Parts: sequence; structure tokens; C-alpha cells
Amino acid sequence: MTSRIRSAALVAASLALPLSACGGSSEAEPASGADAPSGPWSFTDGSGEEVTLDETPTRIIAHAGAARALMSFGIEPVAIYADESVDSDPNLRDLDLDGIEIIGEEWGKIDVEKAASLRPDLIVADWWPAEEAHSGVENGVEATSKKIAELAPMVGATQGESILALAEGYEDLAKSLGADVDDAEIAADKERFEEVRAEFEEVATSRDDLSVYAMSPYEDKVYVANPEFAPELLDFIAWGLDLKAPETPDPDFPYWETLSMENADKYQPDLILWDDRDDLDNVAELNADYGEQQPTWFSIKAAEAGAVASWPAFWLHTYGDYADQLEQLTEAIRDADGTVGD
Amino acid sequence: MGTESRRRAPLLAAGLVALLALVVALAFVSLTQGSRDIAFADAMRALLTLQAGDTMDGTVTLELRVPRTILGILVGAALGLAGAVLQGVTRNPLADPGIMGINAGAALFVVVAIAWLGITHVQGYVWFGMAGALVATVIVYTIASMGREGATPVKLALAGVAVTAGFASVTSAVMVTRTDVLDQIRFWQVGSLAGRYEPVVLGVAPFLLLGTVAALACGRTLNGLALGEDTARGLGIDVRRARWATFAVVTVLAGAATAACGPIVFVGLVIPHVARFVCGPDYRWILPYSLALGPVVLLLADVVGRLVARPGEVQVGVLLCVLGAPAFIAVVRWGRLAEL
Amino acid sequence: MTTLDQLRDVRRSRRVRATAVTLSLTGLALGLFVVTLLVGSFRLSLGEVFGSVTHLVDDPAVDFIVRDLRLPVAVSALCVGAALGASGTIFQQLLRNPLASPDFVGVSAGASVAAVAGIVLWGTTSLVTCFLALGGAIVGSLLMYVLAWRDGISGYRFILIGIGVAATFEGITGYLLTRATVFDAREAIHWLTGTVGRADDAQQYALAASLVVLLPLAVLLQRQLRLLELGDDTARGLGGRTELAKVGLISLAVLLIALATAVAGPIAFVALVAGPLAQRLLGPAAGGILPAALVGAALLLGADLVATQLLPVALPTGVVTGALGAPYLVWLLATANREGQGG
Repeated sequence: MTSRIRSAALVAASLALPLSACGGSSEAEPASGADAPSGPWSFTDGSGEEVTLDETPTRIIAHAGAARALMSFGIEPVAIYADESVDSDPNLRDLDLDGIEIIGEEWGKIDVEKAASLRPDLIVADWWPAEEAHSGVENGVEATSKKIAELAPMVGATQGESILALAEGYEDLAKSLGADVDDAEIAADKERFEEVRAEFEEVATSRDDLSVYAMSPYEDKVYVANPEFAPELLDFIAWGLDLKAPETPDPDFPYWETLSMENADKYQPDLILWDDRDDLDNVAELNADYGEQQPTWFSIKAAEAGAVASWPAFWLHTYGDYADQLEQLTEAIRDADGTVGD
Repeated sequence: MGTESRRRAPLLAAGLVALLALVVALAFVSLTQGSRDIAFADAMRALLTLQAGDTMDGTVTLELRVPRTILGILVGAALGLAGAVLQGVTRNPLADPGIMGINAGAALFVVVAIAWLGITHVQGYVWFGMAGALVATVIVYTIASMGREGATPVKLALAGVAVTAGFASVTSAVMVTRTDVLDQIRFWQVGSLAGRYEPVVLGVAPFLLLGTVAALACGRTLNGLALGEDTARGLGIDVRRARWATFAVVTVLAGAATAACGPIVFVGLVIPHVARFVCGPDYRWILPYSLALGPVVLLLADVVGRLVARPGEVQVGVLLCVLGAPAFIAVVRWGRLAEL
Repeated sequence: MTTLDQLRDVRRSRRVRATAVTLSLTGLALGLFVVTLLVGSFRLSLGEVFGSVTHLVDDPAVDFIVRDLRLPVAVSALCVGAALGASGTIFQQLLRNPLASPDFVGVSAGASVAAVAGIVLWGTTSLVTCFLALGGAIVGSLLMYVLAWRDGISGYRFILIGIGVAATFEGITGYLLTRATVFDAREAIHWLTGTVGRADDAQQYALAASLVVLLPLAVLLQRQLRLLELGDDTARGLGGRTELAKVGLISLAVLLIALATAVAGPIAFVALVAGPLAQRLLGPAAGGILPAALVGAALLLGADLVATQLLPVALPTGVVTGALGAPYLVWLLATANREGQGG
């Protein structure tokens, strides 16, 4: 949920208008990287509904996050739609997008016509339980965008309680589509994730002196995340991190508690998880810049001390990415000074 | 006019002092009200010593509320004065930097400067704000002046609306195509005092102060122009030069104000009318009254905007649009458009 | 030749020109309609499109693109443009002022504020939003009528007050957006950008059906009004009926603009530009509602093609019409002023 929240805020506050992909219309070949098994296919969608097809789908259109997940298992979609520019979407970074059509670079706008011309047999996108919709066809998008669901069945793993569940969901989906999930390289990712996760759990559990908040400082507001609605934060808590929830989440919009800059010092954590989805792996600089712009940001002692770590707010879909992020976070937790916020 | 205004002078002076006192009082409210509860004594200590004293209360007072309040005073005064000068030089009761498209021009130029010229500091784009204000003024005034009867109120207002619509269209097209710089740009969509701190204040203050002083010096010229071109010439005023000089003053005031806060409309329209209602036609009084009334309106709108939508806030630009547009309607409906 | 003959000649040549212009405008609008069906990311031949529209050939892939994707956009642009053009020219003629178009004064703004209030405050569905927009447009026009009335409606006072009313509504819309949760705000912003082809089928059918009824009605009413106004002496006796016809026409215009706004969101300048453009083409036989509606349809279809196909980045239709319309408006004012007809 969170991922859309802030980009939605951005759209809302800015009257940002859609950019849609208008590239050349080179036909992409069906490009599934794996040997697709033929015969009947079925998958249980995040919504709980079981989707069955006579043939295993090979021409897949995927939402950016789902595409990253599928591609990590070697399943290549024929087209991708994203909620933001391909260059800035963290889900699409470092991916080889050659031969894949981009049919959307703005929330709410999908070039369904191009989608139709690719004759997809499956649409893959995260299922959002709160909105009861897949990414791309939720309420508020253009009526034409919603028609993508008429092209082919839409399935996806559920965005809810755990990123791990999400990654596992896409693993299952990739397997059903013919990916060799036991392939050495793919399996290595998963193994590494298990190791990293175990270490994270060990370190996090041992640091019960540490209080942590996840925050999204943006313009002249600080948004303090309510972990209840953020799968990766729920994961961290489940694995022993003392990640605190804000006391009074906004009544209309409980995903966050919004603090004005005058009250930026309300919480004094020892470590801040910084929502850096717009500018990855750069939290130290983001923190310094923000402190320069906003005179009261450094009233949070952890911010002043530079005790910030990257919070991969809502774009993680794969074991590999999750392992990288957890590794960083483990380091940050290990090094954190438990007395900063006291 | 002379003896009459001389007789009323003490009264008007007293009124002006009272208004300035009101500005101080409102500034005080603006400094002490906010989403954070700060004890009166703490706020005073910070204000009197100018030391944040390493406390959050001190920092909030000095670094968040003081710049915001100063900006409110400066921009309010600038917009009030710009409106008064504009109404005087065009002899037009509907003249206002917002209605005439001057703010929209400034906003467009600022947005372009940020989007394509990579200018991110207010010291840089304040120049673009003023350039945009100048371009808009020239276009609107030229269109409105075409024809025999010159720039009538209606023609000026209509040309202003047309140019505003055009500029706004281009501005939103820039926004659409440059989503990467949207964060910085969207400040200029609605006028607001929020989130502007010391650098913004320091960046525009010299221009606003300069423009204010220059505007206050225009009183005699505007009085002369008000009597008609021929009489003004008889009084030894170089009408052409006077007109361009006053437009330059408006450009600096409205351009710098917009660069700081984004477009705020209707303040410049309403305030000179109130001032004229109180002091009569003498611009030597109208100008200082506009100077004092502008901050009153802007600070009041800002404080109200902070209180009505807690914990969020309503931007002054939005609030003043809702409150100012009916005033515009009232001037059109009940005002005597031909006079001035 | 007698005067009567001359008069008859003039009338005939006017009628010929009017017919020719109307026919070629119909051709242009239809042509653009077909182009809208033809172009897109997927190349289709004229035959394929024709076969699909007429249900002569069944090819699921083509049918989906033509019937489900392109046809709604084309129909919506056609209907919205026609409604805007008709509505604009009715306003302009009755108020005798080229600036008195409903998108320039507060009618569209009234529709917008009501629609945004619906989305933000009560989370209304699209059809209810449609009705709210209608209500907002009616309230907006009544408000302007009341405020501008002083021994009749003077053109320029009406326009300036309309601009003031529009500004008030825009301010309120801004306020509503600051109070909205971001999800609602996102939806409201989308609504406010003004794009054809966003509406769902129910709204489009509603607009198309209303257009079929309202447009001929407006043409009939206008003809009657002309007759009433021409017959000087009798018309004086029929003053009440003239007023009635005027009120009827204005109501139709409000309905049309409200429906158009409800379907496509606020689209700038089409209503303003369509009437005067049609007038220019028609020459002395000016004033028809139908030609203005056709110009409106052609303009919007063209603007949508430019917005979605020609530009390197797709823009909302409203931005394109705004960028084209504003210079026209400036030019209109400049000419009016130079000719000494400005206010």
C-alpha cells in the first residue's frame, strides 16, 4: 500500500498529468526465457481465486514489480507497465529491458491498445487486499486502463503481510510458468536470502536496546510509517526488530502519522529507516540535504547523528533484492548506537 | 483636495499607526500559533534573545515561524502596494497583479527556470520571476490599450484572464513533461507561505524592500496621473516615463513575491479598494495604507489557514481565492468601474 | 433586378454557403472520427476497422481494439466536442458576446467543484459524479445570473462576474483537494485534467443519447426565437414567449456543457472557440448551432489526435486545447479592442 501512497501524494499535490509510453510499435516476440510446459495451467491468485487455462501462458504482460520478480526466475514478459518513468522505477533498475515493450510509465495510464496488439495470455500484477484490485486496475485509473483486464486473466501474489510471502508467491507463479526454480543461480539467491535473514534475526533480536522508526520525510512533512500496513516492516518486526508504530496514525489514512516540521521531534528513535524509493542507496546524502533544507529535521537526534538506514519501501519483490537490503540493514542495526535517541 | 486631506491627516495618521499595530499583533499571533504548542515564555525568550538555545521550541520559533511571518509581512505589503500602484497608473479599479496575469507570468518563468535551466536557488529564479512579471505586464497592457478608449477596466481584466489562461496552460504542460523536477516546481502552483525558510526570505527580501520603498515614493506621481494625462503633464510629470517607472516597481514587487510564494491573487485587488474607501483619493495615503493592510490580510489568511484544517493547512493562495473572488464580483457589480 | 429579387438572391447564396459549410464540416468531423479509429499503436487497415464497426467481420483482437478501445474515445470526443460547441455558441449568441462561453465563465467550474466534492467527500461512483457535475453547472449558472442581473444582463458584467464565480469555485476545489485523502485526491486530480476516453460506457451512452435529443431541440428553439425576434411588432406582444424561449435555450446549453464536463472533465476553450470559428466559415449566414457543434466535434477530435498521437509525450486533451485556445483568445481581444468593440 505504502508505495502508492506517496507517489499518489505527489500526483495529488502536483496535478501531475500522465505521461504515457508512445514509443515505436516494434512487435516483441514471445520472449519467455524458460521452456514453457504445455498443457493445462492453473494458479491461485492473491485474491484466492484459482485461474485455469488450457495452455501454459507464454505471452505475459507484467506490472513493474511483478516483472522484476518473474525476470529473477528467468521468465521474461512481453510488456511491462510501470507507475512511473522506467528510469526512476526501482523495480526496473539494472534489468535488461531489450525487446520488452513499455506500455505505461504513469500511474493510471496503460496503453491497452499496444497491450492488445501483443496478444497477451496472462497479466501479472500484485494483488492489493485493501483495494481488492490488482496493480493497474484499481479505483481511480482511467477507464481505458482497466480494460487491460479484459485481454487475459490477471494474477499476482498478494501485497499484504510479508514481502517473503510475496517473493514466495512469485516463485510459485514462476514455477507454474515453467521456470526452473532449482536452477543453480536462482537457488543461490534464495539460499543467500535465507542466510542473510537468519543473520538479521540474530542481530535484530540481540539489539533490544534499539528503538527504530520508519519515516518518509518529504517536503515540509515527516510521514511516520505505521508498520501494520507495510509488509517489509512487518517482516522486520517478525524477525525481532523493535520497530515502533506511531501513536496516532492519521484518522482518515492510517498508513502514516503525518508530523508537521514543528513537531518533527515527536519521536526520538535510535535508528531511522528512511523511505528512499525515489533515490536508492543514498540515504546519508538525503538525510544531510533534508537537514539543510528543513531547520528542525536534526531535532531528531538520530537524524543529526546520521543514524539512518535505507528502508526499501514497497518495491521489493525478489529474494535477491531482499537479501541485499537486509544485509545493509543488518549492518546498520549492528552499528547503531542504542543511546542516540535517549 | 489639499485642505480636506490636510484636515483629515491627523486622523489618517492615527489610523495608520493603529493598522501597523494590528500588523504587529498579527505577526505575534503568527509567531506563537502553530501545530506545536509552545509556552508563551519560551517563545518570548527565543524571540528576545534571538537564540534558539538548543531547544526545539526555540528552533521552531526562530527558524520556522519567524521566516514565515516575515515573508507574510513582506509579500502582503508588496502585493497590496503593487495593486495600489497598478490601479493608480492604469486608473483602473480592476487592476491587480493576479487578475492581470502578472503572477501567472512570473510563475511560468520560474517554472521554466527550474525545469530547463537547472536553477534551484531562489536567488537565481527571483530574476526570472521578475522577468515573467514584466513580460506579462507588457503583453496585457498592450492588448488592453489597443483601440481608441485605451485600457478600460473591462479590457484590462479580460486581457489579463486570457493571458493567465495561456501562461497557466503552458505551465501545466511543463509540469506534465518534467515530472522529474515536479517536486520543486509544484511550489508555484498555489500560493503558500508554508515551507519557506531563511534562504527564501533572504533571497527575495532585498527586492521586496527596494520595491516597497520605490512604491511609497510614487504617491505624488500617481496623484498627478489620476487627474488625467494633460493635467499631469501640466504639473510637470513626464507621463510616459512615470508610467514605465511605476510598471517597473510593480514588476519587482509582484515578480519577487511570486518567486517566493507562488501566485497569490486578489490581495492586490481588494486592499487598495479598502484603502481608498478609508482615505479617499490621495495616493500619498492610499499607498501606506495598502502597505499596512496587505500584511494584515495575508497574515490573517495564513493563520486561519493553519487553524481550520489541522493537522494539515489550507494554503493562503487557496483561501484568498475563495475570499477574494467574491470581493472581485462585488467590485464588478456594485463598484463604479468608470471612476478612478 | 428588383430589390426583392436581389434579396432573394442574397438569401439563396447564403443558404447555399451555409449548406456547403455544414456539409464539409460534417465531412471533416466524420473524417477525423475515422482517423481516430484508424491510428494508434496498432496499425489497422480501413477495411478491418470498417468490418469491425459494422460487425461484418469478427476478429477478436481487432474487435477489442476498435470496439472497446478506439470507438469509445472517438464517440466521446465527437459527442463532448459537439456538446461544447453547441453550448458555447448558444451562450455567446444570447449574451451577444464572443467571450460569454460557459467554460470561460463559471459553468464548467461549477460542474468541477461539485464533481470533486462528490469524489472527495462522499466517494461517489462515476454516474453519481456525473449528476453532481450537472447540479454544479446549474447552480453555477443560476448564481451568475442572479449576481449579474441588474435591469437585464449586460454582456461584460456577466463575463467579469462569471470569471469571479469561476475563481471562487476553483478556490473551493483547491480547498477540497487539500482536505482529501491522497487516494481520493488522486482520483479527483485525474478527473480535473480533462481527457476524452476516460469515461465509462454508461456515461458515454448518457451523453450520446442526450445529444440526440437536446441538439435538435436547441436548433428548433433557436429557429423559433429568431422568428419571434424578427417579427418586431408581434414579438413585442409576445415578449413573454421570447424570454421563455431564451430561458429554454440557456437551459439546454447548461445541460449540454454539464454533460460534456461530466464525461470528459473540464476541457478548456473548445466552447469558446467553436462558435466564432463556425461564424467565420459561414460568413453572413452565421449563427447556426449545428455548424458550431460540428466545429466543436472536429476541434476536440483533432486536439485528441494531437494530444495522443503527434506529441512526443502524451498530454491530456485539456492541455492541448488550452495551449491552442489561449492565443486565440488573446487575438480575439486584440482585434475586438482595435476595432473599438472592447468593453
